[in-house]
Amino acid sequence: MKSARKKAIAGKVIVYAILILIAVLMIIPFIWMLSASIKSDREVFQMNPFVLIPENPKFSNYHDIWTKIPMLRFAENTIFLTIVVTFLQLLTSSFAAYSFAKLEFKHKNTLFFAYIATIAMPWQVYMVPQFIMMRKFGLNDKLLAIICLQAFSAFGVFMMKQFYEDIPNELCEAARIDGMSEYRIYASIMLPLSKPALSTLTIFTFVNTWNDYLGPLIYLKSEQKKTIQLGLKMFISQYSSDYGLIMAGSVLSLIPVLAVFLCLQKYFVEGVAATGLKG
Amino acid sequence: MTKGLSRQKKRDLVAYSFIAPNFIGFAVFTLIPIVFAFALAFLNWDGSNPITFAGLNNFKQLAGDVFFKAALKNTIIYCIGTVPLTMVASLALAIVLNQKVVGRGIFRTLSFFPYVASLVAVTSVWKMLFHPSKGPINNILYTYFHVPMEQLPQWFTGSLVLLSMILFSVWKYMGYYMVIYLAGLQGISAELYEAASLDGANTWQKFRYVTWPQLRSTTFFVVVMLTINCFKVYDIAIMLAGGGSGELTISSTVLVYYIYQKAFIDWKLGYSSAVAMVLFLMVFVVTMIQFRGQKKYQ
Amino acid sequence: MKRKVLSLMLAASMVVSLAGCGSSGTQTQAPAAPAETQQAQEPAQAAPAETPAADKQDAAADAAGGDAVTLKWAIWDKESTPYWQALVDAYKSVAPNVTIEMVDLGSTDYMTVLATELSGEGSDFDVVTIKDVPGYATLVQKNAILSLDDYISADGIDLSKYAGTTDQVTVNGSLYELPFRNDFWVLFYNKDLFDDKGVAYPTNDMTFDEYDALAREMTDTSFGAQIYGTHYHTWRSAVQLFAVLDGKHTILDGDYEFMKPYYEMVLNQEKDGVCRKYTDLKAEGLHYSAAFSGGDVAMLNMGSWFVATMIASLENGEYDADLCGNWGIVKYPHAEGVEPGSTLGTITGLSVTTASDTPDEAWAFVKWVSGEEGAAVMAETGNFPAIMTDEAMSLITGLEGFPTDDASKEALNVSNLYLEVPYAENVSEINSALDSYHGSIMSGEMTIDEGIAAMNEAVKGITN
Repeated sequence: MKSARKKAIAGKVIVYAILILIAVLMIIPFIWMLSASIKSDREVFQMNPFVLIPENPKFSNYHDIWTKIPMLRFAENTIFLTIVVTFLQLLTSSFAAYSFAKLEFKHKNTLFFAYIATIAMPWQVYMVPQFIMMRKFGLNDKLLAIICLQAFSAFGVFMMKQFYEDIPNELCEAARIDGMSEYRIYASIMLPLSKPALSTLTIFTFVNTWNDYLGPLIYLKSEQKKTIQLGLKMFISQYSSDYGLIMAGSVLSLIPVLAVFLCLQKYFVEGVAATGLKG
Repeated sequence: MTKGLSRQKKRDLVAYSFIAPNFIGFAVFTLIPIVFAFALAFLNWDGSNPITFAGLNNFKQLAGDVFFKAALKNTIIYCIGTVPLTMVASLALAIVLNQKVVGRGIFRTLSFFPYVASLVAVTSVWKMLFHPSKGPINNILYTYFHVPMEQLPQWFTGSLVLLSMILFSVWKYMGYYMVIYLAGLQGISAELYEAASLDGANTWQKFRYVTWPQLRSTTFFVVVMLTINCFKVYDIAIMLAGGGSGELTISSTVLVYYIYQKAFIDWKLGYSSAVAMVLFLMVFVVTMIQFRGQKKYQ
Repeated sequence: MKRKVLSLMLAASMVVSLAGCGSSGTQTQAPAAPAETQQAQEPAQAAPAETPAADKQDAAADAAGGDAVTLKWAIWDKESTPYWQALVDAYKSVAPNVTIEMVDLGSTDYMTVLATELSGEGSDFDVVTIKDVPGYATLVQKNAILSLDDYISADGIDLSKYAGTTDQVTVNGSLYELPFRNDFWVLFYNKDLFDDKGVAYPTNDMTFDEYDALAREMTDTSFGAQIYGTHYHTWRSAVQLFAVLDGKHTILDGDYEFMKPYYEMVLNQEKDGVCRKYTDLKAEGLHYSAAFSGGDVAMLNMGSWFVATMIASLENGEYDADLCGNWGIVKYPHAEGVEPGSTLGTITGLSVTTASDTPDEAWAFVKWVSGEEGAAVMAETGNFPAIMTDEAMSLITGLEGFPTDDASKEALNVSNLYLEVPYAENVSEINSALDSYHGSIMSGEMTIDEGIAAMNEAVKGITN
């Protein structure tokens, strides 16, 4: 009994040691970013000695970033795009994934193959035909173009399908025998069960849309339609050596994504309770 | 018989109605351009002038293209290094962070950090850490391991650049795959573990006979996504190894960079598509092998 | 609590997305119409030869009587580059009926975004700025920009004013752009460092050997008081293109043996601590301006655009005047037996798109910006116009903060200007290959001989 407890304690110590090591590794860039964001150009790259907080911290970087380019406008656009894309992505891909995971129908494999095959294609390959097509639709320089581009990704369908497959078929079968329609099974059984998967997909879609650069670069040209990432790049090219400013921008652009992650990671835990019901 | 058929048809229709919202958007905005890109591999096009037929010429040219061969080789090496390392690291991290530990939320958020942090920011941190003459890592090698100045490793050029890219990518993306694994772990019923405990299983046995098989489809997903993302590596190479004009040398060039260069610098869209076809085939073969493996396993 | 926030967010996003869909439905129809009209007008553009005849009078007079026209102009970095707005404002007073609408495509991927935009049919740009020659070659080959020959001959433009640069971007006898800005490379140096060491300043007449010796003389490798005799930015142009200044070779040659002595000079300097290491610079991403303004670099070869940056950054206090406030420029060093003043140039030009439905008005704008009046606007903002008139010259040298010594003024007199990249059919591929192997040589992945052999091989493969 005693040795078991000792063992447990030793286990805990090891776990925490690993965790702290990882945490340190992971947090280094953030500390560096924060530190660099209040430094001047030359201080950023000073290694010997490395100082965390410079003698004269340049907090003005955080102020300048809002005034040197229309960052507020960019933030609004990015938030709008991210929310719409994430919502559409969640809705349509969980819908489609249910069908792929739990229903039998004609051409199922062919259709699913089409999805998988396109994940493997780098966007750069079909960017030009896509652009020409989108312009024909009148979507050039429209936020809607980015929504169309991002909201129907194959990735979401693939991911949701993989998660649904782990949910036992008996659950659906039982509901079907009870006379539930497929739509109700999806809405009242599958959806609540897939909270961890949905939060995961939310996080990924959010991050992807938030950080997308090439898409907005090609499609959004007028100033009032640009996004934060384009804004950051504008900084980099215009104040190419002003690392402090770039880092201040990066820090700011990080906050919303981390907030979303922090909110949603609770849902992973909740998933246990939900799946516990299935027994 | 006819009744059965119509029922099947009805079921098909229901199934299609689920797929339709996503598939229509997907087909119009992604699938059609991709099919067009497929065709481009056999054509010559610069995006403006009339398209001409190239037959297999684009593919024949590939055979003698030094940069293409280097890019192919580097991409494969990068993949072989990155996929297993990232998978193991992210699974281990997920298992640890699935335990009841104090500050779990904070640790999870921290390990997700590199993934969300902007690439510009984190690559510049890495480049400082591995700076050939001023960086702390080479400093340690010099001070404590007495590596002579001229022999200090040049992390971002020559033979070491791929290693740096692999390490960087494991570090940056392991939080991402950790999240997927975490969601997968949450889906495993606690009862299975209880049953295993009753049978007297130790920690390793619980992992081997409960966790691992239960995570099968998650692992499949992770490996497929990892492979695809590795084959599509581009930004990391540019940011870590790019020279003054963003160019990559023969030891650091990768396929997607070459695709980009051929398409948007040289505007040889047909040739660029041919390179992409090779990339696509590679991913396709790997995915199919894994598909087979997954089916067999079940 | 969190759940409430999330559901609120979702609800909000639903409303927003519905609204987005609704408005987009109406938006999609509007742009479709211009695309059609544009096509209808295309035949009219096919014969631009006739129209310039009517344009013979001064653009201003012509435009003043004309209808209101809007020209869409592709540019980059509008906020940090004052001359775009200055040009637009000045043109407004010449041609009040013409509205210039600037579209900022950002500088990082400018030519890529522009070429994508001009792909296919249906672009609505009228005037585009040409940033580099490989990008220019792409647009010419894509038939995205108009040949200006007929306009040039109709309006009697004297191309000799452009100091020979237009010859280097002529495609099969036709010119598709008119330069309005022309930057050339000079040698910047930090006078304080030379004074401290008691070494004579660099001069406007130095051979490469003299330059090398001077850089070595200025170098101090003692720890803590380190001075670099010279500095090379990581661009290929900063090292490799010393070799084309003798006028006998170009980067299109296909045999690059002639570059060897210059690579040797720079790599030897690196080895002896005369300049910072290429691999270090690459890891740091150190900008040349940060290097020079840090006060430990004695000389720096760089384009004349850096003159305006130095003046502005010293004035607003971004650079420390104690470190680099006392600076000067001299002409590029030259090879033995070649007259001094040969240097590298980079032109920025304007083109009229083939998709424009008002090419005459677009040309009038291009002509004005690239002409003497545009040159004056450029010079006032501290930039080097393509037509270097005496007036423009004295505007720049008279700027507050421009070095006051005579040598610096004299340094602006260029005798031979070689474009960093002259036009050739496959210039963008050649450029990429040279860039890549330059990186290999400088980072030590390949020896100079291996790198040059690889360049020869690669370019042979491209041109065949």
